[in-house]
Amino acid sequence: MQQEVERFRKRARVQHWWIVVCALILGLTGLFLFVSGFAGAAEGGGSRLVHRIAAICFVAGPVLYFFTNPRSSWEWIKEAFTWTKDDIGWFQAAPIYYFGGPEDVMPPQGRSNTGQKMWMVVVIVTGVIFVMSGFFMWFLKGTISAETYQVMLLLHDIAFIGGGTMLLVHIALAVFHPRMTEALRSMWGGKSSAHYAKTHHGKWYDRISAGEST
Amino acid sequence: MAEKAILYDSSKCTACRACQVACKNWNELEAVETTNWGSYENPRDLSPKTWLKMEFREIGDNGTLRWLFSRRACMHCSEAACVKVCPTGALYHRPDGFVAIEKNKCTNCGYCVEFCPFDIPRLDVNRASGLGERVTKCTACTTPGLNRIDNDAIPACVKTCPTGALSYGNRDTLVAAAEARVQELGGNARLYGKNEVGGTHVLYVLEDSPTSYGLPEDPTVPAAATAHDILKPLGYAVAGVVALGLLLNVMVARARIISREEEK
Repeated sequence: MQQEVERFRKRARVQHWWIVVCALILGLTGLFLFVSGFAGAAEGGGSRLVHRIAAICFVAGPVLYFFTNPRSSWEWIKEAFTWTKDDIGWFQAAPIYYFGGPEDVMPPQGRSNTGQKMWMVVVIVTGVIFVMSGFFMWFLKGTISAETYQVMLLLHDIAFIGGGTMLLVHIALAVFHPRMTEALRSMWGGKSSAHYAKTHHGKWYDRISAGEST
Repeated sequence: MAEKAILYDSSKCTACRACQVACKNWNELEAVETTNWGSYENPRDLSPKTWLKMEFREIGDNGTLRWLFSRRACMHCSEAACVKVCPTGALYHRPDGFVAIEKNKCTNCGYCVEFCPFDIPRLDVNRASGLGERVTKCTACTTPGLNRIDNDAIPACVKTCPTGALSYGNRDTLVAAAEARVQELGGNARLYGKNEVGGTHVLYVLEDSPTSYGLPEDPTVPAAATAHDILKPLGYAVAGVVALGLLLNVMVARARIISREEEK
């Protein structure tokens, strides 16, 4: 049997898929107001109610996770914002590597590679923008000035375009890209093959082989 | 179709508020309970039940007191911020220039309320759920079922005005009449709405600066509304290009990896 390593703990995976479901509902109900062709689906405001319930869940999940797993939450945030010269190497190698060129051009990567860290940063930044601007538009409408409201709506839109587009990249790479074969499998079942971890996340594999926990 | 307009001449207005009552009467809007707050002006604000109200302002300069009246209701702008930001097209321009509402399309989002440079549209929704009454404002008597304009009647407010302060007709004709009236009044008198926000379909003859009447000196469509015009196509373009790029990427990567494996 092929050797496997644990990549994502169960609670991290549950968190991931929780956010996926919330984000897809939020994105779809948001799209109703963004794309005029879908406008009919928003009539009467029912989709806004769904959007708001999903928004509560979207916030509650990570908040709950943060308070029950403060250490790993901080580590995750720290990981997203820790960039080294290997990350520059990733950017140089990425066009060759991701278009199916030789694999050895890629410098060894950590638990998350540079692209995944980039996505983590996008998730954190757009998440904060979404939640803040959404909070203003929901709870402080009428209290804040019209100008502030307008800026919040604009921020919500910009985060939607930026975050939504990056979500496309995330899904395409994780689900369809021939080189990211283990990404989806490990986020679902938690395990990735040791060979894959060694060749794709070398720095991390060396650390866990040496007995470190993460 | 010729553009239509309502002309309000503040110099002829006695603030009898017959227009305010006629508006409620025709549009089947309930009365609002009011309190005495030291002015004839009541109710205090526009609401889903009050689409038109008269405003009273006391302005003192050099020992003289002037009592200014103005009519507060939708201005029916040509460059209407509400129409621009409405995500579903519930607010739209009629060929005659009036901004009408297709209520069943409204989602209660309230963008129109936040973007209107005159602070006119009103919503009555539950804070938590966002559900409730759909957007309301003066529709220039074009509300379906209560449509006077398309039945060759003039707006209820104009019809009832006893002093001739309100008139209705072709916009060009009214602009010319208003300009003649401004000439006649002299002094600080001016026409408001001829060019503001692309030209409004409610024109005002004012005897003083717009700000003395509580009107913005230079009303504009908020920059954030114009930004939406750029953001939407930008959003489609960015998402489209990225999606196409990803498709290409996956296809090329797949083909190359397969061919390399076959070589082995």
